[in-house]
Amino acid sequence: MNKKKILELAKGFRGRAKNCIRIARERVEKALQYSYRDRRNKKRDMRSLWIERINAGTRIHGVNYGNFMHGLLKENIQLNRKVLSELSMHEPYSFKSLVDVSRQSFPGNKKVVIPPRKEGLSMLV
Amino acid sequence: MASTTFISSFFSSPTITTTTTRRTQNNQTSLLLSKPNNPNSLSSSVSTNSNQRLAFSSLVPKLSDTIEAPEAAAEVDSTEVTTLVEEEEIPIEESAPKGDGLFAVVMIGSRQYIVFPGRFLTTQRLKGANVNDKIILNKVLLVGTKTSAYIGKPIVPNAAVHAVVEDNGLNDKVVVFKYKKKKNYRRNIGHRQPNTRIRILGITGYQDSPVVTLDDLPVAAAVEA
Repeated sequence: MNKKKILELAKGFRGRAKNCIRIARERVEKALQYSYRDRRNKKRDMRSLWIERINAGTRIHGVNYGNFMHGLLKENIQLNRKVLSELSMHEPYSFKSLVDVSRQSFPGNKKVVIPPRKEGLSMLV
Repeated sequence: MASTTFISSFFSSPTITTTTTRRTQNNQTSLLLSKPNNPNSLSSSVSTNSNQRLAFSSLVPKLSDTIEAPEAAAEVDSTEVTTLVEEEEIPIEESAPKGDGLFAVVMIGSRQYIVFPGRFLTTQRLKGANVNDKIILNKVLLVGTKTSAYIGKPIVPNAAVHAVVEDNGLNDKVVVFKYKKKKNYRRNIGHRQPNTRIRILGITGYQDSPVVTLDDLPVAAAVEA
């Protein structure tokens, strides 16, 4: 039964690792170790993805991620990054109001981040 | 800024700490110091203060159930929808038929979800919640409609999300395999996390809280029309 389970878990593996039990067992053990490790890594990766998205969303409105989050903290708004990234993608108006609230609370640097102006041929794009 | 005075009391009450997110716990002391009291907004905020105190003194979710009356200390406070849907978005191309465009951000089991009425959501297992129990989720962090957003600092006062417990089940099995090489150590453990599926009925109580009306209101109205 154990062999059967291992060969089931080894579906999609390369070469003899999907067919031959001695090789499959090693590969499956490695795969399970990776999944254990990556369940923890996934949380980190998702968080950095959310931060990238929030950064992109706020820079459209001339604010960068650091100032935006600082303004939110000052205002005691406790939306987490997951929700903020989803709002920045799907609820642009609500997200803009959040950016305005944050900018009001923490004006940030004097150099406001302006979306890059297109010059030359890229103006046509 | 009507909720600033509210916030200082929010964090001083001891009942909050169990369900706030990690970030809030870190920032508690700093927030207490940094919030100035607005004398202008005192009259409105006092009422919200008392309302909120009452709501949070019962802490964890109020289960207003029609079928039975347990005093469950369930941890259901706010959970929200998992599905990312663009229903609420004000259509940029006017062909998309949206519902109300109403959504809320709710915190359940220290996770935040975006909730739409009529959809369901899978959250951590809510203790004491049986099938077909009506649940009120109090920790509403943001409510958005087509034309305005009610931003909670940290929660929208008096807002509540009503939901019904549909099902108590288990997540898919996760194999926890621990292995140390050359040390003859391996452990193989299977794990199924209990969960609860909740269907959202509606979002209420946010109308009289401070609104951030969207600037592009005329644009939105023109697009919707």
